[in-house]
Amino acid sequence: MDLREKSRQLLENGDVKAVIGYERGTMGARRPAFIRKAERADRLVFDEACAQNLATYLTRPEVRKLGRVAVAARPDTLRAILQLMAERQVKEENVLALAGDGTVELGTAQAIEEHLATCAKELPARDREILDRLSRMDRAQRWAFWQAELSRCVKCYACRNSCPMCYCGHCTMDCNRPQWVPVASHALGNLEYHMVRAMHLAGRCVECGDCGRACPVGIPIHLLTFNCEESVHLQFGQRAGASSKLDYALSTFRPDDKESFIR
Amino acid sequence: MTEPFEPKITAFVCNWCTYAGADLTGTSRIKYQSNVRVLRLPCTGRIDFMLLAKAFARGSDGVIVSGCHPNDCHYTSGNYHARRRWMIYRDLMDFMGIDTRRVTFSWVSAAEGARWAELVNEVTTSVRELGPYTEYKELALTGVE
Amino acid sequence: MSRIGVFTCHCGENIGATVDCAKVAERTRNVPGVVHSVDYKYMCSDPGQSMIKEAIKEHGLTGVVVAACSPRMHEPTFRNAVEEAGLNPYLCEMANLREHCSWVHEKNDATTDKAADLIRVMVEKVKHNTPLHPIRVPVTKRALVLGGGIAGIQAALDIANAGHKVVLVEKSPSIGGHMSQLSETFPTLDCSQCILTPRMVEAARHPNITLMTYAELEKLEGFIGNFKATIRRKARQVDEKLCTGCGLCITKCPNKKIPDEFNEGLGKRSAIYVPFPQAVPNKPVIDKTNCTFYKSGKCKVCEKMCPTGAIRFDQQDELVTLDVGAIVLATGFKVMRTDKFPEYGYGKYADVIDGLQFERLASASGPTLGVMKRPSDGKEPETVVFVACSGSRDRAKGVPYCSKICCMYTAKHAMLYKHKMHHGKAYVFYMDIRSGGKDYDEFVRRAIEEDDVKYIRGRVSRIYEEDGQLIVKGADTLMGGEPVEIKADMVVLATAVQAQDGSEELAQKLHVSYDPYHFFAESHPKLKPVETNTAGIYLAGACQAPRDIPETVAQASGAAAKVAALFSRDELTREPVVAVVNRLPAPTFSYCVGCFLCQSACPYQAIEAEEIRGRDGTLIKTLAKVNAGLCQGCGTCVSTCRTKAIDIQGFSNEQIFAELMTL
Repeated sequence: MDLREKSRQLLENGDVKAVIGYERGTMGARRPAFIRKAERADRLVFDEACAQNLATYLTRPEVRKLGRVAVAARPDTLRAILQLMAERQVKEENVLALAGDGTVELGTAQAIEEHLATCAKELPARDREILDRLSRMDRAQRWAFWQAELSRCVKCYACRNSCPMCYCGHCTMDCNRPQWVPVASHALGNLEYHMVRAMHLAGRCVECGDCGRACPVGIPIHLLTFNCEESVHLQFGQRAGASSKLDYALSTFRPDDKESFIR
Repeated sequence: MTEPFEPKITAFVCNWCTYAGADLTGTSRIKYQSNVRVLRLPCTGRIDFMLLAKAFARGSDGVIVSGCHPNDCHYTSGNYHARRRWMIYRDLMDFMGIDTRRVTFSWVSAAEGARWAELVNEVTTSVRELGPYTEYKELALTGVE
Repeated sequence: MSRIGVFTCHCGENIGATVDCAKVAERTRNVPGVVHSVDYKYMCSDPGQSMIKEAIKEHGLTGVVVAACSPRMHEPTFRNAVEEAGLNPYLCEMANLREHCSWVHEKNDATTDKAADLIRVMVEKVKHNTPLHPIRVPVTKRALVLGGGIAGIQAALDIANAGHKVVLVEKSPSIGGHMSQLSETFPTLDCSQCILTPRMVEAARHPNITLMTYAELEKLEGFIGNFKATIRRKARQVDEKLCTGCGLCITKCPNKKIPDEFNEGLGKRSAIYVPFPQAVPNKPVIDKTNCTFYKSGKCKVCEKMCPTGAIRFDQQDELVTLDVGAIVLATGFKVMRTDKFPEYGYGKYADVIDGLQFERLASASGPTLGVMKRPSDGKEPETVVFVACSGSRDRAKGVPYCSKICCMYTAKHAMLYKHKMHHGKAYVFYMDIRSGGKDYDEFVRRAIEEDDVKYIRGRVSRIYEEDGQLIVKGADTLMGGEPVEIKADMVVLATAVQAQDGSEELAQKLHVSYDPYHFFAESHPKLKPVETNTAGIYLAGACQAPRDIPETVAQASGAAAKVAALFSRDELTREPVVAVVNRLPAPTFSYCVGCFLCQSACPYQAIEAEEIRGRDGTLIKTLAKVNAGLCQGCGTCVSTCRTKAIDIQGFSNEQIFAELMTL
């Protein structure tokens, strides 16, 4: 049994209305596939090259309307599904995650949580390398690094659109009364945009890195959200996407939270 | 002749502790440097990180954020939420290379009039030594064009 | 187009001597939107206020900035004035030129510049102000009093006498609390029961008071004027309506070997029992953990004996929901037990007792009928040592505070002992004698001078048993730390007053704050001593801090007065500085995405879910909604909201942004 056969069965039995998976794209890439008929299931592939976090589509109105859907899920996808459940964006009964090789059915939040406990998480070597480089820099150098990187940003919002947690109907970026962040992609607008994005994902980022992959100009912006998430983990001992019960680090507190900078 | 640099300091304070503390500084006639401009909010919990970013974008050389000591929040826990937000935001600022020496977080109670004067003086003096926050100001200038 | 009027006050010399007010007013005239800017000697005076009112009419002002003292001082004054001129009061803001400028800076151009800046900031804010209207909420005129000790009884009686309904909830089977356990009270040595019992009976018979004994608060929802309390009425296994309180069941109960809580373990009681003879209500309960029937399935002697058939072995706990407008917390205290003192034998010496146990020994209705007999062998103690500050003011015991009542009751204990045993010797070890209070110091002096109680200033380091006597080792610090050793027959530890067990959980249910020792926290230590930070919940007695009876009663009456004042109106009005979730036309409805991250950030549980449904009833969207009655306006939710869907009136994003952009 593989993902194709599993999907065929699920669709034939009417267990799900659609399977969201991957199919072959151009130049060896993989692209998302929305399979609604059993006979189309043989287009699906599920291998190492499938990188995108498909949980992003679960909050789209078109998908929400369908009812129960199956999703080919990598560990990041599972984390995103749990976080979306915690944030009341996805209903437990509307998602069937197909994990592992695509045949492991995870139909409940509990099953996802248990499965995730067996998945290790590792930072890609390229990210490790950039972070090591940044850690050796002084503040002015870090400023220069990010200014240089962000200067390429054209505010296409691909990072926002690819992010499974950026589901807000009305983003702060679209807010114009007041205009918090300048619309133009000049230095200040870019800095503020990425700052807001990172802060809004702190405690919510499932660290899939899709924002960085989506960036057409190759800015490692996912490291900004990773940094916030790491900061949450180090200081408050929790990670996003661990549970379907809401435990948002920035809307809870402990009276004995430890910091060293408040005078 | 160029005038000596006078830093622009913006302070975000909560209504119940630090604003009242600063009132007490006045009532006690304790003098401090006049660079600071205070914005009053109900609670540190209300102080969105964007306010800090905007203060720098508007050319502040230093920012003070101050509220009730832990346990003393008028709203019982706004300051605890604020503290968590500051902990994360400060890390992010540092990671992005923003000069965290220019942001001072503090607790000043309604009884600490002298402490408010001391805080403002210390921040003003240290920011004066750091000089104008040219990096950020240049950024903001590109924004205008 | 905004038409803002700015009124700069000299405050006599207070502002005028440091800030060039005329220049500030002049410069302010050039700020866009300002159509009128003047300075005046005393803006808060009648002529000053008239100037504002006239200018509003004459210039058709849409907003007012008064540049004077702190808004914490005169904001209500000027908002009233503005309202009298027909403008919404929330269109008036103050710039703080006095406390934040003239009083704290030198006279120079920079200070005048700052004053002008502070005004500009407020002008920009007021341009974005919107008319707000006080929030009106109805008031349910029924109070809930939690705790049936003297604090709760007093509060309930005062509220009831003011003409309002009260529900008095007590967790044990009878009201009366610790005061009912006391033998005599300081500084008058009148019998505690004699003064308390009439109050207990009065509370039980008062037409406005409903007693719920053997009951506890299960859950509390709602807000000031509109609480919904769920009370768990624990099963007594006795039908209170049928029971006549004849006591036959108690006499016949075969299990009479249970340590008696009311007598602090110094006596025994039966499995079906009333805690003490004067209990109110005088109806027994069955102690299920010790009842033979519940343990073995056989017995039911009480059921057979009961002449009215009131025994109910199948009775279950009952949950009662009550609508109440205010709550008085009067849950009292506990004392530290002797087993917390390794140096005094971990509670293993029967003759080392705590203060409450001594009360029972001295009480005419106690296990010894008031005859001094020590617990171990019933011998009359010839020498008694009283140890004040046992646990109190001792960081190692986790109690750094003074328990306040011990100095006085230790003096009372020593006197009671001496009055009962004239030839006996009474020693008191103390750290300081704290006897502030009406006739209090005189009382302690009487113990020392008339009743010959020996006071030794020093701490007791160790107590151990030797040949049937207790060896008390201490030091006399007034004699240069000279070691003292006393062979005693009985030792009474004036153990620390602590918060009642379960205080933390109760505080969390009620959303009131508590201190590190789990005493409930008052809203302000001086000016709001009976209020909590949760509007509509008040404090009385030792649940807030150690208190003696006169203070407890005074505070209970204070809390009752607050409740009566609250109930004097049919509606409450509240400042409209509250959070709101924006609402837009369909199909957007709101920028809120319904993630509810704001919900756990709210300290007041003010954020609820609102379902938007189509005409056919299908759910379209679930939005956050702020309960304006609960919201206190801190704005923590605003900082949590990514879409800026939630905002706070009076400190809105637009207002603050406008202020910032002026700088």
